Amino acid sequence: MSDRATPLGDALVPGLYGNLAAALGVTLSETFFDCVSELTAFDGQEPALAATLAKAHGKVKASFSFQVAKSRWLAAGPNEFRDLILRQAAPDKWSHIDLTHGRAALRVSGPKAEWVLSKLFAVDFREAAFPARSGVATMHHDILAQIHRSDAQSFDIFVYRSFARAFWDTLCRAAEEVGYEAA
Amino acid sequence: MRITCPHCGPRDLIEFTYQGDASRVRPDPASEDQEAWNKYVYDRANPRGWHREFWQHHGGCRAHLLVERDTETHEIRSAKFAREARS
Amino acid sequence: MTFHRLPTGGTLIDRSRALSFTFDGKRFSGFAGDTLASALLANGVMLFGRSFKYHRPRGTFAAGSEEPNALVTLVRNGFREPNLKATLVEIFDGLEAESQNRFPSLNYDLGAVNRLAGRLFSSGFYYKTFMGPFRNTKIWMFCERFIRKAAGLGKAGLIPDPDRYERMNAFCDVLVVGAGAAGLKAAQTAAKSGLDVILADENPHAGGALNYASGEINGQAIWAFTASVIEQLGALPNLRILTRTHVWGFYDGNTLAAVERVADHKAERSPGEPRQRHWVIRAKHAILAAGASERPIVFPGNDVPGVMLSDALVEYAQKFAVVPKGPVALFANNDTAFAAALDLSRLGVTVSAIVDVRRDISDFAKFLAGRSGAELIAGQAIVGTEGGKALKSISVRPFDAASGEVSGTARIIACETLGVSGGWSPAIQLASQAGGRPKWDARLQAFLPPEPMPGFSFHAAGAANGAGDLTQAFSEGHSVAAFIAKGLGKKAAKPSPVKIDLDSADIAPAPVLEIASSDSKQKAFVDLQADVTADDLRQAAQEGFAASEHAKRYTTWGMATDQGRTSNLPGLAVLAKAQGISIPEAGLTKFRPPASGVAIGAIAAERFGDLRPYRLTPMHDWHLKNGATMYAAGLWERPMIYGKPGETVEQAYVREAKAVRESVGIADVSTLGKIDIQGPDAAEFLDRVYTNMFSNVPVNKARYGLMLREDGFVMDDGTTWRLGETKFLMTTTTANAGKVMQHLEYFLDCLWPELRVHVTSVTDQGAGAAVSGPNARKVLEACVTGTDVDAVTLPFMGIARGSVAGHPVLICRLSFSGELAYEVYSGAGHGQKVWNELLEAGQPYEIAPYGLEALGTLRIEKGHVTGAEIDGRTTAQDLHLGWMISKKKPFMGSAMMGREGLMKEGRLTLTGVQSLSGEAISGGSHIVLSSDPKAPGASLGHVTAACYSPALGRHIALALVADGNVMIGRRAFAADPLRGRHVPVELVSHHMFDPEGRRMYV
Repeated sequence: MSDRATPLGDALVPGLYGNLAAALGVTLSETFFDCVSELTAFDGQEPALAATLAKAHGKVKASFSFQVAKSRWLAAGPNEFRDLILRQAAPDKWSHIDLTHGRAALRVSGPKAEWVLSKLFAVDFREAAFPARSGVATMHHDILAQIHRSDAQSFDIFVYRSFARAFWDTLCRAAEEVGYEAA
Repeated sequence: MRITCPHCGPRDLIEFTYQGDASRVRPDPASEDQEAWNKYVYDRANPRGWHREFWQHHGGCRAHLLVERDTETHEIRSAKFAREARS
Repeated sequence: MTFHRLPTGGTLIDRSRALSFTFDGKRFSGFAGDTLASALLANGVMLFGRSFKYHRPRGTFAAGSEEPNALVTLVRNGFREPNLKATLVEIFDGLEAESQNRFPSLNYDLGAVNRLAGRLFSSGFYYKTFMGPFRNTKIWMFCERFIRKAAGLGKAGLIPDPDRYERMNAFCDVLVVGAGAAGLKAAQTAAKSGLDVILADENPHAGGALNYASGEINGQAIWAFTASVIEQLGALPNLRILTRTHVWGFYDGNTLAAVERVADHKAERSPGEPRQRHWVIRAKHAILAAGASERPIVFPGNDVPGVMLSDALVEYAQKFAVVPKGPVALFANNDTAFAAALDLSRLGVTVSAIVDVRRDISDFAKFLAGRSGAELIAGQAIVGTEGGKALKSISVRPFDAASGEVSGTARIIACETLGVSGGWSPAIQLASQAGGRPKWDARLQAFLPPEPMPGFSFHAAGAANGAGDLTQAFSEGHSVAAFIAKGLGKKAAKPSPVKIDLDSADIAPAPVLEIASSDSKQKAFVDLQADVTADDLRQAAQEGFAASEHAKRYTTWGMATDQGRTSNLPGLAVLAKAQGISIPEAGLTKFRPPASGVAIGAIAAERFGDLRPYRLTPMHDWHLKNGATMYAAGLWERPMIYGKPGETVEQAYVREAKAVRESVGIADVSTLGKIDIQGPDAAEFLDRVYTNMFSNVPVNKARYGLMLREDGFVMDDGTTWRLGETKFLMTTTTANAGKVMQHLEYFLDCLWPELRVHVTSVTDQGAGAAVSGPNARKVLEACVTGTDVDAVTLPFMGIARGSVAGHPVLICRLSFSGELAYEVYSGAGHGQKVWNELLEAGQPYEIAPYGLEALGTLRIEKGHVTGAEIDGRTTAQDLHLGWMISKKKPFMGSAMMGREGLMKEGRLTLTGVQSLSGEAISGGSHIVLSSDPKAPGASLGHVTAACYSPALGRHIALALVADGNVMIGRRAFAADPLRGRHVPVELVSHHMFDPEGRRMYV
């Protein structure tokens, strides 16, 4: 369990909400990763960085990363993953920034996850366009969102911590139509 | 309008910020040629038709793109990373 | 004339479900599947509303979205939604509808006197009246109230829209607009070829005209065949059918906008269900198959309730089993009405006559007329009608289609309903938005969809493309879908065979769209919704507004909510004839989105009220619990003051500022922009960005930096901390954080891609607490572990790393308040605990949390600048920051900052202002020399920020004053005429408190 305070404060009250007449549409929750890091390669060093990340994910199964820009990856996982990455630091090849406190990871999962997220983001969530274990960077109004799809029905949305509560409210409202569980 | 970001794929205009005419050339930083600086900072052609311009994908990967756009039809002929286009 | 419901039939109604609703307070009943129009007709109601200008009684004219007349207001829980087409409103139990533009009631309408005013509302009425001799006169102002009340459609409600709307983003290979014969077929072929397809139709049921066609397909009634096709399509995983979805806009990037009426037809809504959903559909290709609208022939007296489109009569009869009770006549220039006659007569309706402007009628049409039992009156035209609120008869005279002349004597034919057919206009609205000029088809006397503009991809199919029968519609639907599938690399599915058994009438009309009879005193309406007559258009042409785009604006023809669906072509015909040119020469007006009315709420969708995003600092909840009044600084919520019971804002900030000067205060500075800058060339980059040097800043030291724009004006200021040889942390003002970030990214991407530097916003990573005041060091000493905080370890602008409450912190000694001060940063998730610990350590010194007001007061006393002074028009010299400009290197803005205008005397310069009278100075006041508030004289500058200074014991301000340096010591006045203030002041140095900075260097 993380020693970090949740940016959601009292906004997350576990329970069932919205239209519960049919099967539950989605589950909304906050995920606390031990570490969230951004790694950025200098021009031409992208393959080296990608290879380093792939190797680290091979060793630390619970970690993942996704490309949020041409040379930039957002990575999340347990502490041993960060330690591994930091041990291989190569300041002339890529930079590393710790964003563990700076990002909140909100999870949307369930059969209606694509439907709910399509209300908020103008990106193509169909699996052919957005396969599992890939990510996109997009925005909801002023809120930058870096979204990772972990499987067909689950998405982790990384937003700036200061926006977390505003975005949580938006997410809950968007999910009311299909019924949701806050967990 | 939609712009095809070379990293993110086609995205709505709202994710982009216009960052100015890309055809102008910045004088050497040490240059004191006021006319050249004035031209660079203030003169804009405002053409009807094809135009080279910078757009930042601020609501996505944040890269600056060099976009060729028809100012009359909003047709976009190309969009590439500004870094690569210049170097 | 009235309609009634047949005891059997109706392809779309469910007779087992009776529903009750009210219209103008009167209760009626209908069946599930009824529209408000069909249900009212079934109840014998003919009068739906009063017209726009003349308050003429109007009935329903059409059966679908082309309806110009039957506009109603729906009332739900007190909220009124006006101008809805009764032909599209589905009834539900408890629906409340009202007619519009009538006073006091629909039947007895006082506004109908407008009719007597004759030419008062003629072409260009508004332009002539607003611009003419009566403009701004008392007469006009007196009349205006009545005119505005009299002319108009429904009234908007006065309460906020209580409904919920949502946006939905969608992506597909093909969007098919219209689920009639061509659209269904296109969707079927596209989906079976493996494409992702969205099929949208504005009606509650897919099927379009198939739902009321009378023949058979594959041995099944057409409507039943259609229902089975729709069911099959509904099961396909790659096809989404959106009914009640009106596609109204076609935008760049092949993006189409649509509104789905999700819950408008429901009596009850489930939790979270939006009333309407705003779809934004990015389609690789669009297939436009929204069919065609029948259009009328315009003739004198053509707006009496009972005059309708011929196809609408069939639609009401087949879909809803609602038919005219009394005898029906038909008026046509093509064969459509003949098929309608037969359809109606088969349902037991008496069709007394078919009047056709053509002399030569095809054998097939004659056969249809014969079977229907109607008398065929060929080569004649309607020249007038009898009946006020309901049609009683028509008068008919011989007519020459070639010359357009009527002749001979009139014959009166009794009828209570008249079905008119002037041919068909394909629905080209969307194509017109995304295409070039529509193409004229002389045979159909209609405009066909244009070619797409560059960047758009659409294909029209079926009636929307001018197809005249089912076979053609199916075949076009299939072939455009197959073409698209091939283009996307798919193998096109084979069409399933259909055997159609339906007698199709030829829709090609004679080129007659208006009957002008000089003898007639009756008005001939072209645009029923905007109340524009054929004479209005002729007058517009005569007055020089003949071009269609001009006539449209001059008369309001085609400008009402139906965008002239039934009036475009007849109007063009009138204008063309008036100028002696052809219809294509007259030119169709451009269609613009929305193709028909869209609720504003649907466009706003989720964006309203408290759903505006807000940003909270890690200590937000603590601020609220501790009495903070929050202030929205951009998107951030920041404490303005921490008021104690009974305190005014001024008392609170004065107390807070005093605490900082006398002991210690603590402020949440988490919102300051923070940008991580790293890479081998980071120092070089900062040297180019800032006016002063950063490459010589030692590690673990900070420096105050100033940034200019390329044009030499100041952009932002802040401190940048060197955390390592190649790693810096830049801080920016809260307001400029985003702008500075974009600025830096632009430089790196577009100007200096050779620099190996990465920039990342880390604003949210840290929680920041500014601890300021003479006792600040003691507070830190009491709670910081892992580092000393004495003046040697942590000198001014020094940086140290330690822990507070067991959490790592980064401490930088810098001062915005002018006191001994530190900024303590921790991980945002630890921010509250660190804050608590600092408070605890500050207890002995009565540490006071302070908000934005106190922060402002402290900086005004010190003459430190913020966004109010860095307003985009000030230079470094103007702000007394010239000392920060390095002469050793070029930097952003260095080439332009020395321009003559930026250096000359008389520029507005940062100056201190002190009140001499004890009165407060208001922000925005102008500095003037005259003591007379009524004649203040020229402004010498303006006040950018003002406060009461507890340290100086008076009201003070900062101002930008012309030649401020020279003015120091002068008396002046701070004039604020809006608030009636004219305060005597003295202009002083902007360093008003502790000018030597002794307090912060201790």
